[in-house]
Amino acid sequence: MRRGTAPAPMPTDPRLLTLAQWLSPAYPTGAFAWSHGLEAAIAAGWVRDAGGLGDWLADLLAEGSGRAEAVWIGLGFRAADGRALRAVDARARAWAPAAERLREADRQGAAFAAVTRAVWGIDLPDCLLPVALGRAARLMAMDPGDVAALHLQGFAANLVAAAQRLMPLGQTAAQAVLARLAPLCLAAADLARAPDEAALFSNAFLSDVAAMRHETLQARLFQS
Amino acid sequence: MRIATKRCAGRSALDRLQMSGALRALFPRAPAPQAILVNTAGGLTGGDRIAIAASAGAGSRLVLTTQSAERIYRAAHGCARVRTQLRVAAGASLDWLPQETILFDGSALDRALRVDLAPDARFLMVEPVVFGRAAMGERVLRADVRDRIEVRRGGRPLWLDAIRLEGAVAARLDRPALAQGGAAMAALLYVAPDAAARLGPVRALLPATGGASLLAPDVLALRLVAADGFGLRAHLVPVLEGLCRDGLPRSWRL
Repeated sequence: MRRGTAPAPMPTDPRLLTLAQWLSPAYPTGAFAWSHGLEAAIAAGWVRDAGGLGDWLADLLAEGSGRAEAVWIGLGFRAADGRALRAVDARARAWAPAAERLREADRQGAAFAAVTRAVWGIDLPDCLLPVALGRAARLMAMDPGDVAALHLQGFAANLVAAAQRLMPLGQTAAQAVLARLAPLCLAAADLARAPDEAALFSNAFLSDVAAMRHETLQARLFQS
Repeated sequence: MRIATKRCAGRSALDRLQMSGALRALFPRAPAPQAILVNTAGGLTGGDRIAIAASAGAGSRLVLTTQSAERIYRAAHGCARVRTQLRVAAGASLDWLPQETILFDGSALDRALRVDLAPDARFLMVEPVVFGRAAMGERVLRADVRDRIEVRRGGRPLWLDAIRLEGAVAARLDRPALAQGGAAMAALLYVAPDAAARLGPVRALLPATGGASLLAPDVLALRLVAADGFGLRAHLVPVLEGLCRDGLPRSWRL
């Protein structure tokens, strides 16, 4: 986005609408069914209120799975051909710390690819969600950083919505949590523009533990 | 340091051993070849370099452990660099069971573990990391840690893990999704045909800050966070006792 006192009138880039459509909660990837381990974290008492939720999600975006997803979007975008893309996808699968985390990215990625192939007619194979998003961005000549920023905001919004079903959290407080995470979504987007697998890391140990412990949680609303 | 085993007359035997620098290996009597690595320098600091290559040849077994915890001391400049490469051939089995890596305040560590498994190889690894010795009143306020693990099977990626903690590490470890103030953690991977059967018993041994998951029918991953090295060991030792085919190496008990 450009800033200026007198912006030149420019037509809206149609790709902006395509991207907003892909990353809308209404796009049928089934995101609402997955909590990314948050359900187990709330059950364990690790996340109790709006402040705790904001801190938890900030960790994921700054140095956990959210940050890593931006890198995978960038690597999926950079893959020059189908073979390189399959290699990225295989590495992204090996990166998954827990069975449900893998299933979450696998099912959503397959659903995203199926709908996007059918509607836009692009050659998008089934991949884990961030890899599929990177590939789709390349095929539609989008900026991978924009895709990553909007994807991470959608990722956080989905988890905030999950938290509203799992603990007391009002609508306004929920939106305030999400708004405060915007700088982290933007920072991670830079990783997608210049992806480097050597820079891939995750320090969110207890988020991974929560994803593992969700598998044995009693009375679950979510699939992860 | 290079160590290799081979299968010979129906038993596993040492095939090759090369040592240089401060790293030595002891070979206690054990049911399978067991190498206890000893860092005679007593720890690592900035500028130190360690390279370990170990392989279990076709049908053979090899257990690798360390004599004690490895201390990473304050680095005046540069970082301690550790590179480990493990190969496990067809029908072979390798256990990588180093004791804790203890990071001191101001330490800098750049470590990478690369493992290549044959499609039917068995493998067990644990990497315990402790930030400071809480019992001695030590806290790691600052450090620079880069720790990567890459396990491949049949040439394909099987498990990737990477940690990057720099700067105000104590403050980072206080974060809710990181360690909630815990100063010790471990990652464990178990690759064997009975991994699925081990999941339930392993889970039963874990505290609320530990989890285990089956990433493939024969691949079990575990992650554990604890307040300190003592708490980590209290949960890790029973898990390892269940997963080591010949029992936990004796150096872990001293």
